[in-house]
Amino acid sequence: MEVKLREIQKTATEEILNVKDKKELNDVRVKFMGKQGLLTSILRGMKDLAEEERKTVGALANVVRGEIENNINLKMKMFEAEELERTLNSEKIDISENAVGIEKGALHPVSRVINKLVDICVAMGYEILQGPEVETDYYNFEALNIPKNHPARDMQDSFYISDNILMRTHTSPMQARTMEVRKPPFKIIVPGRVYRNDNDSTHSPVFHQMEGLVVDENISMADLKIQLNIMMQRLFGENIKTRFRPAFFPFTEPSIEVDVSCPNCGGTGCRICKGTGYLEMLGAGIVNPKVLEMSGIDSKKYSGFAFGTGIERPAMVKNSITDMKSLFKNDIRFLKQMK
Amino acid sequence: MKVTLNWLKDFVDIDISAEELAEKLTSAGFEVEELSYQNKHLHDVVVGKILKIERHPQADKLVVCQVDIGDKTTQIITAATNVFEGAIVPVSLPGADLINGIKISVSKLRGVESFGMFCSGEELGIDDNYFEGASVNGILILPEDFVPGTPIEKALNLDDIIFDINVTPNRPDCNSVIGIAREVCAVLSKQIKDVDFSYETVKNDNIQNYIDIEVKTENCPSYMGAVVKNLKIERSPIWIRSRLNAVGIKPINTIVDITNYVLIEQGQPMHAFDYENIEGKKIVVRQAEKDEKIAVLNQNSYILDGNDMVIADANKPMVIAGVIGGLNSCINNDTKITVFESASFDLKSIRITSKKLGVRTDSSARYEKGVSPVFQEIGLKRALNLIYKMQCGEIVDGIIDRKQVEIKEKNLVGSLARIDKILGIEIDREKIKQILNNLGIKTEINGDVITYQPPVCRDDIENENDLAEEIIRIYGYDVYDNFEGALFENSKVTEGKYHDRFKFENNLKNQLVDYGYYEVLNYSLYPSNACEKLLITDERINCVKIVNSLSEDLSTLRTVMAHSILSNISYNLSVNNKNLRFFEVGRVYLPKELPLKEQPVEQNKISMAVCHDGFNFFNMKHDVLALLEGLNLEYDLVYSKQPYLHPGVSADIVTKEGDVIGCFGKLHPTVAKNYDLPKEVYYAELDTDYLSTLTEKQYKVKEVPKYPIVERDLALLVKEEVSNKELYDSIKSSCGKMFYDLALFDVYRSDSFGENIKSMAYNLRLNNIEKTMTDEEVNQIIKKVLKALEYKFGAKLREL
Repeated sequence: MEVKLREIQKTATEEILNVKDKKELNDVRVKFMGKQGLLTSILRGMKDLAEEERKTVGALANVVRGEIENNINLKMKMFEAEELERTLNSEKIDISENAVGIEKGALHPVSRVINKLVDICVAMGYEILQGPEVETDYYNFEALNIPKNHPARDMQDSFYISDNILMRTHTSPMQARTMEVRKPPFKIIVPGRVYRNDNDSTHSPVFHQMEGLVVDENISMADLKIQLNIMMQRLFGENIKTRFRPAFFPFTEPSIEVDVSCPNCGGTGCRICKGTGYLEMLGAGIVNPKVLEMSGIDSKKYSGFAFGTGIERPAMVKNSITDMKSLFKNDIRFLKQMK
Repeated sequence: MKVTLNWLKDFVDIDISAEELAEKLTSAGFEVEELSYQNKHLHDVVVGKILKIERHPQADKLVVCQVDIGDKTTQIITAATNVFEGAIVPVSLPGADLINGIKISVSKLRGVESFGMFCSGEELGIDDNYFEGASVNGILILPEDFVPGTPIEKALNLDDIIFDINVTPNRPDCNSVIGIAREVCAVLSKQIKDVDFSYETVKNDNIQNYIDIEVKTENCPSYMGAVVKNLKIERSPIWIRSRLNAVGIKPINTIVDITNYVLIEQGQPMHAFDYENIEGKKIVVRQAEKDEKIAVLNQNSYILDGNDMVIADANKPMVIAGVIGGLNSCINNDTKITVFESASFDLKSIRITSKKLGVRTDSSARYEKGVSPVFQEIGLKRALNLIYKMQCGEIVDGIIDRKQVEIKEKNLVGSLARIDKILGIEIDREKIKQILNNLGIKTEINGDVITYQPPVCRDDIENENDLAEEIIRIYGYDVYDNFEGALFENSKVTEGKYHDRFKFENNLKNQLVDYGYYEVLNYSLYPSNACEKLLITDERINCVKIVNSLSEDLSTLRTVMAHSILSNISYNLSVNNKNLRFFEVGRVYLPKELPLKEQPVEQNKISMAVCHDGFNFFNMKHDVLALLEGLNLEYDLVYSKQPYLHPGVSADIVTKEGDVIGCFGKLHPTVAKNYDLPKEVYYAELDTDYLSTLTEKQYKVKEVPKYPIVERDLALLVKEEVSNKELYDSIKSSCGKMFYDLALFDVYRSDSFGENIKSMAYNLRLNNIEKTMTDEEVNQIIKKVLKALEYKFGAKLREL
């Protein structure tokens, strides 16, 4: 009996080793462990053995059965692992394909610059305001110290609707509108559309600006410098420098033009900055006390600074856009590149 | 404003290069837009004398010349026929780079070497106006006294450098050589030179014998006149022609050139009358009479009115004051006696007339910007000085001066502490004093008190802000380059705040980008036929018009968003771009009345347009309504009344108050055609003004069901006109508290259902929050549902 068990153990081990798949393994299981299986038969025959022998053979039989079962289980696990591996391999897809019919869109480069500037300024304590695009002559000009028939009116070609109503030529009317109704201190920014009677390769009749105005006690040109440095550095990068040049705007005194070091070449001179290392970026200045007074703010007590930046230009510089007109053409081949 | 380096040097010693000066002027607020060099194309061109001319051995049309060019004799071959032995001519030598692009080198012409080329006036960039003989077709023959070897730029006075300077409107005093020279003094810390403008008059004659001047209008603060007799009207000397030519003014004759010279140098427009044509021997400055007519130098006639100012004699207007001279009184080559006018006019008056008549001259351009009442005297004296210097007339003794204003320097007082506050830095007091004095602003400093006296022509200087600007622009803004300080160090903290609508719009924009939409940006101006193309006949056809529009395409302020974005789709399709999902955030402008008395109402909108494979009405519905989620808003959808949408495939979004706050749907087929679009284009629009005022939705979350949800699918056969909403509402109401969810998952049409019948398949989910539902309970509910559906809509369960 013992010999037979040993024999079975040997045969089973060999056969388990040689099976090729789960089915054959199952056949082996049935052959040895099934109801009619070789091992089962032996165990069944044990009841005829003497007490002493039954004990020994029983122990051995258990060992043999354990070993066969173990071998079968190991083999089974091996087959399952192989099968999983095959399934995984067969399920492999081409990850370079894309979903059909759905993809993300994109914001317009102008919106992106506005959002960026707005976020920078709100974090610095500015409030966003919006104003009318169709303005009165008073707010667009007179309240900004540009009287009727003044030479300064030549600086901006306006679209007129009537003698007294026009498309705003800048976002600056909101300076006067704000100062009339608010008490200092305040810091505001006004992003929006503006209009000039000008249409050529570098001018669009409709474009965007963002006005900034701060009124409080002790606002100085030095504050303006720091403000614009921070703003331009967050917009274009930490290494950007600003440069002030004297300028003339009737509503600020002193008035300045602000250049930024060219973000493209870092100031060494390139095609974008026409070799100068700087780009003209915005106009700014200390609020003219006459403008403060016209809007009912005590210019002896308060001072302020104002700045007004175009949006299209930084949008072009930031995104290497060379044709201003492409911003308003809305060709999806252009827009898609802003993803 | 154009000035030249040599002209500036008449008034200030300049010891730096033109390039350095340009840089300094730019940093001081006088941007030099261009520096041009008269001699740019004149290097290696010299005066030569033709010593000998021989026939070319190989060519009939060429001659070989031996030419004295100062230090040596050189050989030049020419085809020119107007040269002769002894002629003085311009010779371009190897290395020359002429204005017409010709570069000179040693070359062989038919086997004989030529070491240069003779030049025509054109090849030197000059014509007869500048130099007599320069316009002939052939070589320029120079005067006999020109010395061979002299560089041509010296010989022809073409060695100047021209500064084209952008003078800002606040500095009309700098629209002149002398004005710029004053600024040069300030940036170089120099004093202006004392230039001799003296002249001698004919003592035995007096202006009183000739003319009287009367000013009868407030628009002429100052008017001066002088008389010159025995005029010699002829070509001016080369130095005056050279300067005028350099700044872009055509030399004409002595008298005209003098008036132009004074205009450029002193910024004072001058006018010269032909004395013989002044009737009544009287000059009257007055407003024009209504319908007064005048024929002027540009060959046009104008009818004037009381807003225009004229210079008249006893009977007729002679000049439109400050704008243009009349034909009846201008000088000509035979004029013997002239009256010089040197006047100041109110800038607004000149501007109005110049604009109204559409006439702009060098004179009106100055007057529009403002000519200070202090300039007339010096201008007139300079003109007389030039007459005297050029000996082109006899100056009658006496000047008539009709000044209506008192010319007096203002004494102003300010605070240095205030200037420091404006600049945010403290500039050395001595330096401040020096800068201001160099600018001609007489300044004293005593502690905090600054006393200053700006020149009369600087009426732009009134307060500390003005002084601060003068100081810092000369001191240099680069002082801030290394400034280190904290922002808003001495002011209060303010709260940053987003604008409600701006923020709301941004949320929508980002959501749409996630859904695959691209943002477009359009002009808010469109052509006047936009409403027509969109089939709009309501009040939106009343559009605001731009009076001075650039073109019909940009003539009208939009009252509807659809035109722009549909045009974008159309354009993209035309260039074969496909699968387009666009949105635009913008405004429409609705007039309260026309013609406009007050500003129109500006409404903020978001528009969307889609032309995309497989995109249908329900996709658009999803995309639009998803934008409204999260808002405290209840709305109904009804078939849209927008004329540009398909009436049966579109919806208006209507609030509980009955306001339409948006719409979406398929484009009306006629509109699609009008925009060259296919039929399957979907459009949507939302009123962001309204939506951004809404509060956030208050969420009341129910507990997730504890007991199992029971599902039943119901396929219902109903008439076509029964809507999903009607079925939904009915089913929901029948289920009562047991209702959990209902979803339409299939709509199917088949002839076998009978005519006008569709199958609507729903997945109904029921739940009892207190216990597990039994089949019995569920069946009871379904029975109730079906009974109600049959009663209300004749709906039947479809046999599967």
